[in-house]
Amino acid sequence: MEMPNLSLALPELLLVLGAMALLMLGAFRKDDATRTVSLLSVALLGFVALMVWGLGGERATTFGGMFVIDGFARFAKVLILAASALAITMSVGWLEREKLSRFEYPLLMLFATLGMMMMVSANDFIALYVGLELQSLSLYVLAAYQRDSVKATEAGLKYFVLGALASGMLLYGASLIYGFAGTTGFTQLSQVFHAAHGQPHAGVIIGVVFVLAGLAFKVGAVPFHMWTPDVYEGSPTPVTAFFSAAPKIAALALLTRVMLGPFGELFAQWQQIVILISIASMVLGAFAAINQTNIKRLMAYSSIGNVGYALIGVAAGSEEGVRGLLIYLAIYLFMTVGTFAVILSMRQKGRLLEGIDDLAGLSRSQPMMALALAIFMFSLAGIPPLAGFFGKFYIFLAAVNGGLFTLAVLGVLTSVVSAYYYLRIVKVMYFDDPVESFDRPVSRALGLIMAGSAAVVVLLTIVPAPLVAGAQEAAKSLFPTG
Amino acid sequence: MLQVGLAHYLTVAAILFTTGVFGIFLNRKNVIIILMSVELMLLAVNLNLVAFSSHLGDLVGQVFTMFVLTVAAAEAAIGLAIVVVFFRNKGTIAVEEISQMRG
Amino acid sequence: MIPAIMFYVFAALAVAGGVMVISARNPVHSVLFLIMVFFNAAGLFLLLGAEFLAMVLVIVYVGAVAVLFLFVVMMLDINFLKFREGFLQYLPIGALVGLVLLVELVMVFGSWAFAPEIAAGLAAPTPDAQTMNNTEALGRVLYTQYLYLFQAAGVILLVAMIGTILLTLRQRPGVRKQVVADQLARSAKDTLEVRKIPSGGGI
Repeated sequence: MEMPNLSLALPELLLVLGAMALLMLGAFRKDDATRTVSLLSVALLGFVALMVWGLGGERATTFGGMFVIDGFARFAKVLILAASALAITMSVGWLEREKLSRFEYPLLMLFATLGMMMMVSANDFIALYVGLELQSLSLYVLAAYQRDSVKATEAGLKYFVLGALASGMLLYGASLIYGFAGTTGFTQLSQVFHAAHGQPHAGVIIGVVFVLAGLAFKVGAVPFHMWTPDVYEGSPTPVTAFFSAAPKIAALALLTRVMLGPFGELFAQWQQIVILISIASMVLGAFAAINQTNIKRLMAYSSIGNVGYALIGVAAGSEEGVRGLLIYLAIYLFMTVGTFAVILSMRQKGRLLEGIDDLAGLSRSQPMMALALAIFMFSLAGIPPLAGFFGKFYIFLAAVNGGLFTLAVLGVLTSVVSAYYYLRIVKVMYFDDPVESFDRPVSRALGLIMAGSAAVVVLLTIVPAPLVAGAQEAAKSLFPTG
Repeated sequence: MLQVGLAHYLTVAAILFTTGVFGIFLNRKNVIIILMSVELMLLAVNLNLVAFSSHLGDLVGQVFTMFVLTVAAAEAAIGLAIVVVFFRNKGTIAVEEISQMRG
Repeated sequence: MIPAIMFYVFAALAVAGGVMVISARNPVHSVLFLIMVFFNAAGLFLLLGAEFLAMVLVIVYVGAVAVLFLFVVMMLDINFLKFREGFLQYLPIGALVGLVLLVELVMVFGSWAFAPEIAAGLAAPTPDAQTMNNTEALGRVLYTQYLYLFQAAGVILLVAMIGTILLTLRQRPGVRKQVVADQLARSAKDTLEVRKIPSGGGI
């Protein structure tokens, strides 16, 4: 047994060692270490992100082919690390105000991030499962973090039960695939299915369906979305902000890798299912959000709809589709993080508000915050020329070039419907009579994240070329032969 | 009938798996039963993996089972911890009571 | 002949136990039935030649996980009589759907065949039982080929530990605790005094 090449997994190793060092720091410091551990966590994530970025190179595998690093993994990892770092930064102030400071909070986010990095680099079903569970277990605890709140513990319980069910389905599917194909490695599976000319045993097809159902649960796509609104509403707001970005990106990247990697040869068998899931998610995301009064719940339905758009890229099954998906995810990350920074600033007399009506007249009391939120809402609605429009444009382009006209048309129609509720928020802010204004000043970290995200969205609007080129490069690595 | 093959084991696993899934969906009584149903599902997966491993002459299935067992134990611990904090807040673990949020 | 009979006994008891887990009225009974399922599944593992996993299932699952369940069921002060029987009303339709699913799965399983090209691609072929026992064979791949996952599983257990402590540990004020360092630092000189007492005189 030769030593595996550890240098490929250096960022992950650094992250896990750093997390353990911070755990020691938190456990042995006499006074409260939450702030220190949080800031060091953000620094660690930033450093690891730079490292992932810096370690370029061709596709390579290590640990007996179970861990793969390629352009796709790098792109997704940088997004995930950025999302986690932003989420921890947003949480610090909240933890201190709510007197919930415990150093385990940033640590759990670090471990969840590690699990996500393992997910996007998984090249074997066992590695996939272990990474996924590392992420999920940390997230279940984070959802129930506010342990004296009925809502938060209920959210944790619901998330746990449905997440465990999803893991069970995914595993059952993986066991069938192992049994009928004789291997769990993605590279080998791809070869086996290639040898079978895309017509594998019926047992494999059943396995693929179970795996797809399990993954659809994890990304929160219809008909496996039931947990999303309740978990978004019930969890503490900074945790919701975390849920809405990093795990979504990781789960979508994982789904893309699994469906287009080992199951790529079976494209004809699963394409219809992904199309159906995508349509159902877009439609539900557009219509169910209309009547919501709670902004966290609204963002939950918005995320379901956005997962639907992202899945169009998978259904297209082409390099172009993956490129669109990655561009979409990168833009979505900044829109949603920025929106949650605004939601976290909605305080009145120290209490955090969640109602959409509470935003009334924000343009007069806090014009800059209103402007930032308006940019995010216009962008989420996909109104040209903002970045969100580009994201949707590249996805629909891939769908049209892949011959999926129905999907493209339905995507445009649901975008129009969903624009209604995004623009309603803008209307409430700018045209409704102000109620009581929010507490001031907004914390510096939140203000910076708001302004920064808005700046990134605007910047991507003006110069989208680097992002498109990066996503193109990353998408190419998923299709080695093409 | 007396010749026991792979299909027999897979059938037992399939029955256990469906029992577990129904335990989750049809249960209207208490959350701990749901956690036990999850354990049943994972046990069914393990039986599948071990049966395949034995018939393929491949150890990977058994290694997979080991990781499933490890993770399932961790999952049960976290699940029960969440049930305990929920019970402390709510004073019950009846499934009908998990309904703070709707819509 | 005997393995076949054993199979049917283990399988029947495992399935019956599984059904009882989800239908028993009293959660304590459910846990006990779950233990029965685990024991019989361990028996099936033995029949399949996975001795180590059979023992792990008994030790870890019956010994730790099932007992943890039992502990939580008894710790939460639940009035079991309050739970009303709502399960059976969905049973007919549920059983029907389940049966259809099961028949379909079983039809697929019946056609499993050992494809020769699969044998060539096995990642870790089982060594001959004469040369190496099951435990040794598993150990040889687990710490070499699966090193990455072995370490990752350790991180998962660490997260489980942090998570459960974070959620359930409460530091109550006013509780007397043992301080080991103080206890060790005491010596007989500080606490014990020997006095000579004259008989009949008192102190």
